[in-house]
Amino acid sequence: MSYFIDRGYTSLNHEGEELCGDMVECSVNGDMLTAVLCDGMGSGVKANILATLSSKILCTMLSAGVPIKDCIETLIASLPVCKVRNVAYATFSVCLIGSDGKGELLEFDNPAAILLRNGAADDLPRQKEVILGKTVYTTALDLKPGDAIVVTSDGVEHAGIGMMMNFGWERPQIKDYLRRAVKPGMSARAISAALAGECNELYMNMPGDDTTVLGIKVREHSPISVFVGPPIHKEDDAQYVKDFMALPGKKAVCGGTSSQIVARQLGKEVRTSFEFPDRDIPPIGYIDGIDLTTEGVITVKRVLELSEKYLDPSDCTAAVLDKRDGASLLARMLFEEGTDVNFFVGQSQNHAHDGLPIETRMKLKLIDKLADNLKKMGKNVNVRYN
Amino acid sequence: MVLSVCVGSSCHLKGSYDVIETFKKLIESKGVGDKIELRACFCLGRCSDGVAVKADGNYILGVNGANAEEKFVNEVLPLLG
Repeated sequence: MSYFIDRGYTSLNHEGEELCGDMVECSVNGDMLTAVLCDGMGSGVKANILATLSSKILCTMLSAGVPIKDCIETLIASLPVCKVRNVAYATFSVCLIGSDGKGELLEFDNPAAILLRNGAADDLPRQKEVILGKTVYTTALDLKPGDAIVVTSDGVEHAGIGMMMNFGWERPQIKDYLRRAVKPGMSARAISAALAGECNELYMNMPGDDTTVLGIKVREHSPISVFVGPPIHKEDDAQYVKDFMALPGKKAVCGGTSSQIVARQLGKEVRTSFEFPDRDIPPIGYIDGIDLTTEGVITVKRVLELSEKYLDPSDCTAAVLDKRDGASLLARMLFEEGTDVNFFVGQSQNHAHDGLPIETRMKLKLIDKLADNLKKMGKNVNVRYN
Repeated sequence: MVLSVCVGSSCHLKGSYDVIETFKKLIESKGVGDKIELRACFCLGRCSDGVAVKADGNYILGVNGANAEEKFVNEVLPLLG
């Protein structure tokens, strides 16, 4: 069975620092996802350099199949030694996982990862191993759909020290929070944002440590197809809509003309909602058999903005897409539900839009950028032009 | 009568939202709620003369937030007969 391995992370910077001393690096090699979280010693520039080097080295080498011992050797040889502390040091957690949910977790000096399964939050059965004098914990992973692993830097456990709490947030409380806050449909990014957001609250918006949460979740594939823009040749409409409807999963249609084409081919009517949940975004419509019908270019532009926000690792609220306007609904469908996204992009010119900031070339650019951002989220994206 | 206000991209940018809000108020203040069913619709194909409004079979074009009341009184109400 082949699953979608969803990953997403959220990072809070130490108060007053522009750079984060935690770093997440991901790479996909064939079926295998390698996700690394490193915490560099200290904060600011030094920590950032240590974490960047470590995460990049580990991710590159491990994803190429180099044994962990060789990676650690390289790490020790490469890290610059801090003049003040006279050590070179960055912690790491590495998750190597295949699309069958099987893989390995390697942890060095980061808090132990937490497994979310069937509404429970538990420790993983780690094995202690000493590699080149360093204690590395390893766990063989065999994840099922719906399971998630939450990897954190120690900023999570320190949240609230000396402010809201005397000793920071303790592990049982963190697990308890995850049990309460994580809902079955949440993406890896949403899980990480929820936990990091809670830490930010405990820090009263002034994190005393770099704080990073990396989520890795095994999900069933959930394809989404988006029809945006009429095809250039009208006589292609029928085949085009047929191909679109033949794809598995949810369907979204964006654009007034597009929705009329789809409705006509399906022998249905387009009904338009009267509600303006957001006055800048035109109302949505309804076509029987289509999961979401929206206006075109204005909505897509907003979705692109939402995707930028979603990709900003310091944003703790980006995954909360609970508004009812067309753009938020589409964003939720694409970012939170979707794992594989197919765009059907029609390139026909709408002369009515000449002179308005919504003409065809701009729409194509928006879709290109949106497709790029979805790829950055780790989704499989396919764009078909007509 | 079905009164449809276009909320396609082009008309939206030209102020569909304001037109709808104005029409809603006018329908109430003139007490014609039982005669007019206000709806939104996607592109009516009259983008260059937006905001486009359709009153049953009749197009009323070039509507905007500022002239919505005037258009309603002069062009929509007479159609009620």
